[in-house]
Amino acid sequence: MSVENKGICNADMPVHDTGTGNVLSRRLNKILETRIENDKETLEALKELSTFFTENTLQARRNLRSKIEKRSLVINEDFLSAFRDVKEVLDAIYSDVSEMNNSVQKMISRLQATKTQTHHLIDQTTKLQAESQTLSLQKEVAGAFLRSFQLSPAEQAVLRGSSRECAITDEFFTVLDRVQSIHSNGRMLMQSGHQTAALEIMEQMALYQEAALERLYRWTQSRCRNIESPETSILLSMAMSRLQGRPVLFRYVLDEYRTSRRSVLVTAFIDALTQGGPGGTPKPIEMHGHDPKRYVGDMLAWLHQAIPSEKDNLLILLKGCDKTDVSDQILQTLSHITEGVCHPLKVRVERMLAVDTDATVLYSVTNLVCFYKQVIGQVVPGSQLLTTLEELQELSQHTFLLALQSQVRQQLSECVETPPSDLSPSPGVSQLLNLLRDVLSVGCIAEGRQQDLPQIVSIIVEPLLQAINESATRLPTSDMAVYLLNCLYQMQSTLSLYEFVDELLERLQAQSDAQLDTLTSEQASSLVANLNLGSIYTILQEQGKGALSSVPGMEPTGLKNFLSKLDAFLVMQDVLLLPQICLLLSGTHRSIVQHRAFEVIAAIYRQLYEAVHDPENLYQNPGVLMPRSPDQVLKLLIG
Amino acid sequence: MSAGPYNYSYIFKYIIIGDMGVGKSCLLHQFTEKKFMADCPHTIGVEFGTRIIEVSGQKIKLQIWDTAGQERFRAVTRSYYRGAAGALMVYDITRRSTYNHLSSWLTDTRNLTNPSTVIFLIGNKCDLDAQRDVTYEEAKQFADENGLMFVEASAKTGENVEEAFLETAKKIYQSIQDGRLDLNAAESGVQHKPSQPGRNTLVNDQQVNKDTCAC
Ligand SMILES: Nc1nc2c(ncn2[C@@H]2O[C@H](COP(=O)(O)OP(=O)(O)OP(=O)(O)O)[C@@H](O)[C@H]2O)c(=O)[nH]1
Ligand SMILES: [Mg+2]
Repeated sequence: MSVENKGICNADMPVHDTGTGNVLSRRLNKILETRIENDKETLEALKELSTFFTENTLQARRNLRSKIEKRSLVINEDFLSAFRDVKEVLDAIYSDVSEMNNSVQKMISRLQATKTQTHHLIDQTTKLQAESQTLSLQKEVAGAFLRSFQLSPAEQAVLRGSSRECAITDEFFTVLDRVQSIHSNGRMLMQSGHQTAALEIMEQMALYQEAALERLYRWTQSRCRNIESPETSILLSMAMSRLQGRPVLFRYVLDEYRTSRRSVLVTAFIDALTQGGPGGTPKPIEMHGHDPKRYVGDMLAWLHQAIPSEKDNLLILLKGCDKTDVSDQILQTLSHITEGVCHPLKVRVERMLAVDTDATVLYSVTNLVCFYKQVIGQVVPGSQLLTTLEELQELSQHTFLLALQSQVRQQLSECVETPPSDLSPSPGVSQLLNLLRDVLSVGCIAEGRQQDLPQIVSIIVEPLLQAINESATRLPTSDMAVYLLNCLYQMQSTLSLYEFVDELLERLQAQSDAQLDTLTSEQASSLVANLNLGSIYTILQEQGKGALSSVPGMEPTGLKNFLSKLDAFLVMQDVLLLPQICLLLSGTHRSIVQHRAFEVIAAIYRQLYEAVHDPENLYQNPGVLMPRSPDQVLKLLIG
Repeated sequence: MSAGPYNYSYIFKYIIIGDMGVGKSCLLHQFTEKKFMADCPHTIGVEFGTRIIEVSGQKIKLQIWDTAGQERFRAVTRSYYRGAAGALMVYDITRRSTYNHLSSWLTDTRNLTNPSTVIFLIGNKCDLDAQRDVTYEEAKQFADENGLMFVEASAKTGENVEEAFLETAKKIYQSIQDGRLDLNAAESGVQHKPSQPGRNTLVNDQQVNKDTCAC
């Protein structure tokens, strides 16, 4: 077919100014130029052609054209019938579409109607939506309000506890604090105008708080016996800090606490007394029951050392209490806690304080008790323990003084009666002075104890002095003086170590001086007698008119008797000393007596010397009679 | 647990002993206050100081009893050895007499404390080297012979003061770890957690046993 079309086309080509030959050649060229192998249409046409143009005969070539036309016709007829079918189908579709169109038209009009109807509805919905938004906002606000001003059921459960015995936990305090803060926020709420709500909230919170604190109080009261347990102790401190706003509850808990600590302390004290440390070290304190100093000292030191721990515990328990000053409470509680040990302590110390105990030991105990009274008085002033210690101190002091007096009495009666022959202080004196030394050597460990010392000294020294004086009166004068001087000397040397006995020392010194005078005059009289100076001295004193050399006893020969004795005496002075002088314990006393007695002799010598050298007395060669000047004699005698 | 009100797990009791004037109170003051007291009055009887330290990650409260060196207080101070976990025995390196008295102090200490009590010898005033009257070597030998820990220190400069107190605590802590020190017993000088001056609770005891088993 296409070949045919082409042929037709070519044949219809208009020929203008070119010749037939030209047309022909052009056609030829064209044919020649045709690339059949590339022209699909031509190839297709040729292929089709070969299906019915089977024999290349003349006949066939002649019929070709009509044959092709016939075939073309058949094809066109086929096409026509096929197309008819198509057209029919399309017609059917067309009618369907028109019908649809009708329906759609109807639907549109219906929709239009609906739309006008819905418009109103939409308006309404929009309004409702806006309303819903407002409401949900309000809901959120209300929720937030509730969250900040109300307790959640969970929180309420924490506060209430599942049962009475239910333990308090950290959470409890969180919620309790929240209740408190809600309550105080309520005030703000009130200020911002929401009075009713605020009041209601505050009232409600107050109720919660009351119930919670009540529960906390019960719990705390039952747990405060376990302050050592670290788990509860944290909670206990927190509990106390919450309870401080309820003074009554607070006090009840403290009461419970101190009662329990009090018995713990007593138990521990008794254990230390009777059981001691691990494996018996340290030994139980009562092992020292035979040694009152140690026993009492250990008990008191134990108590002194127990108090800081109690104080620590208490400080920890109350460390959260910042609203009020708890230092008073601490003191009161501490003093109550230590009250329990008072009785066991007192009983034991009292047992040590028997009158027949050694006075020195009793004095040590008194000192110890006094020391601890001061120490413990600083830690727990005004406590029962302090009162107990004061009572014990008084008792101890009293017992000590009684024991001292009785010990003094006993020793006096035993030993002071007759002075020994060597006139040394009798053993009783030494013993009593030793007692004094022992007592005073205890050393004052407590402040302000110095004032007792004069009393102690006088308890020993006064009866001693009296006894010495009594026993001395039985002796001859010189012996008495020496004995007293020896006793006084011993007392003085003992007492001079102490500063507080000045007055007594003065008295002793005065007594010594009196005895020294007595002894000096005894010695001087003895010297005067031994040197035959008696009459000379008397005459010199009475010297009247007339030359002395002519007075009987004063003539040179009479004087020579004395002067030769004096010469011997100057060489060997000791010979004429009273034997008792050597018995003086004190070298000072000895030399004082000697000095003073010799001074008496030297003075008489001087008087005689001056009289002899006085021309009125008509002595011849006074320088020969008395060659030694008074000063030389004095020097020889006294050195 | 460290957040609790007891920010310590043990209390150790110490005593400080030695002749008067050797610087016991100054050592204590230096340790607790980190200051030197130039004119410190003689101690009357006993004084008391505390400080919390740390040993092997454990907080320990030291309860320190400073005794008077004056002879007249001996009757009082003797009672404080009882149940001490540590005893610091002090002499003055510039005064030989204070060194010479050590053996009598040591006798007292041994008689009045537990066998487990840690005794630490301190030669104080080592800042006064020019006035030295006791050599380091002889004191060291004395310490070694008697099984004491020893250091020369100065309460004035603070030298070795901290060390003496801490080393003593370490040794005590070691004794606890080794189970040589029975915490359950009263008056061991150590308390596990603050407690009454006596018993510790059973819980603590078990804890300690556990500790010891784990080693
Ligand atoms: N240079 C120097 N002086 C010191 C040192 N330690 C103490 N002192 C001085 O020594 C004196 C006595 O010190 P204290 O601490 O009171 O002595 P103590 O051992 O407590 O004495 P008592 O309480 O009587 O037993 C004080 O004057 C201190 O200033 C030191 O390390 N160096
Ligand atoms: Mg001191």
